[in-house]
Amino acid sequence: MTRIKKAGGGDALVGILFLLPYLVLWLLFVVIPVGYGFYISLHKWNPMGASPFVGFDNYIQLFSNSRFLNALENTFIYAVWAIPLVLVLGLAFALLLKRAKVRGVGFIEGALFFPYLLNVSVVGILWNFLLDPNVGIIPYYIRAAGFPAPDFLNNPALVLPTIAFVSAWWLCGYRMVVFRAGLNAIPEELYESSSLDGAGPVRQFFSITLPLMKPSILFAAILTIVAGLCMLGQVLIMTNGGPGTSSEVLALFMYRTAFESFNFGQAAAVGFVLFAIVFLISMALVRVFGLKSELG
Amino acid sequence: MRRSSALKPIVKYVLYYGLALIWVVPIIWMAVTSVKPTPEVMSFTPHWIPSSLTLEHFWALLERRPFFLWLANSFQIALLATVITIVVTTFAAYSLARLKWRGRNAIFAMFLTAMFIPWEINSIPLFFIVKDMGLLNTFMSVALPLSALPVSLFLLRQFFINIPTDLEDAAKIDGCGHLRILWHIIIPVSLPAYGALAIFIFIFAWNEFFWSLVALQRSGVRTLPIGLKTLVAASDIQYDLMMAGSFMATLPALIIFLLLRRHVIAGISMAGVRR
Repeated sequence: MTRIKKAGGGDALVGILFLLPYLVLWLLFVVIPVGYGFYISLHKWNPMGASPFVGFDNYIQLFSNSRFLNALENTFIYAVWAIPLVLVLGLAFALLLKRAKVRGVGFIEGALFFPYLLNVSVVGILWNFLLDPNVGIIPYYIRAAGFPAPDFLNNPALVLPTIAFVSAWWLCGYRMVVFRAGLNAIPEELYESSSLDGAGPVRQFFSITLPLMKPSILFAAILTIVAGLCMLGQVLIMTNGGPGTSSEVLALFMYRTAFESFNFGQAAAVGFVLFAIVFLISMALVRVFGLKSELG
Repeated sequence: MRRSSALKPIVKYVLYYGLALIWVVPIIWMAVTSVKPTPEVMSFTPHWIPSSLTLEHFWALLERRPFFLWLANSFQIALLATVITIVVTTFAAYSLARLKWRGRNAIFAMFLTAMFIPWEINSIPLFFIVKDMGLLNTFMSVALPLSALPVSLFLLRQFFINIPTDLEDAAKIDGCGHLRILWHIIIPVSLPAYGALAIFIFIFAWNEFFWSLVALQRSGVRTLPIGLKTLVAASDIQYDLMMAGSFMATLPALIIFLLLRRHVIAGISMAGVRR
């Protein structure tokens, strides 16, 4: 008995010791960069020599920089397209597969999931080819059906929605798999008893599925919002921000400001603004929808 | 009545398999294109069945780009990230889930909050931190930050916390230390969680792009996604080379997925659901 007590009392030291390696990595690569990024953003950062403190100059310059405001707008346009597409398609596929009374559901699920395993360069290169106005098969079949085929990636109005669709093709299979697990956790009796009460599939969806799936949908929503607002790979490969700056999103603007213009202070300011937006949105969602229970 | 009940299953099959087919058609097109003669690749009308098969695009790509070096680099980084993640989060999850000490819940709440920090947007400060550590252009520069993803810790902690304490109490009475409890009790019953974690992190690291682009600038350390990007930067568009490169980059994932589909999907769904 005393031995157990002793072990319990000695847990603090072991506990901290065991946590330490992870804690160090986490502080170094997740937490400190936020503070350090803010620090850099307050300077005219020069990696080679003196970096004078400039206060909030970088931020003031940003908000009067039309290219930054354009990137901010583009980020939201992309997010508004991509986030619902990824979530709705993911949930729709999960529901379809749950109701599927066909053989080979695993095969169908595999086909819908597989694009998630491609890396972003493959996705971008492949869709550039599919959408190519000259040799792409998508414009070809649109023309074959008798419609004029738009130049998807060279049209300023179409480029961001197009990339959002590509992202949905790439990523919604992942959401589908996660949602399927959530759907399978709903007890079948709930559906059976509501069927006896005469509820159709639509009513069952709104009265059983949706309320019970709410936590996992919101959780997926937050992760999708975060990923959507920080999107870089797709535009970097597919359009490089073009035509002009029509698809230049914040992450790309930040990347270019840092590693093409070497204006690190300004780029850090962009990063901090992006961080603030993402953090505020996700915290607001957690607060409003009370996701604490889901996380804890 | 009879007609509709006979027709319905067929319609269902067509719809479901049609959807699956539409979803993978782009990938089939990529595979077909990679073995087609160039004139058919750059043709205005689609050639679904190539007139002849050729591997010339693959040879041309291997001649011009260090594809296997990219592959090896990607593999090493993904493996490093997976191993480091497993080691580091095992101890951390054990500490948070099985040990009683003051402040552990507060610390866990901090990790939770930080989960909403997308670490890639910290790439500018991270660049200078990694540079000062002398890690720029090393595999560790990508593997270490990936090992700090809070998602991994949640997955393991959640699994550990649901293991009954009976065995552990008995072991404690027998005088087992924490390392032996971890090794002989906790880890053996958590193998499904480790499988899920390994699959999740490996895929994540294998496809990582944003931070790798910043941290791996020397050509010798490029990973697959970063290497393939150099095909896009070329002045003339060579879809034949691009499709060959893309298909080769997809092949490992395709083979593994065909062999281990159930495990990959089970792993992803386990890592994705946190309750």
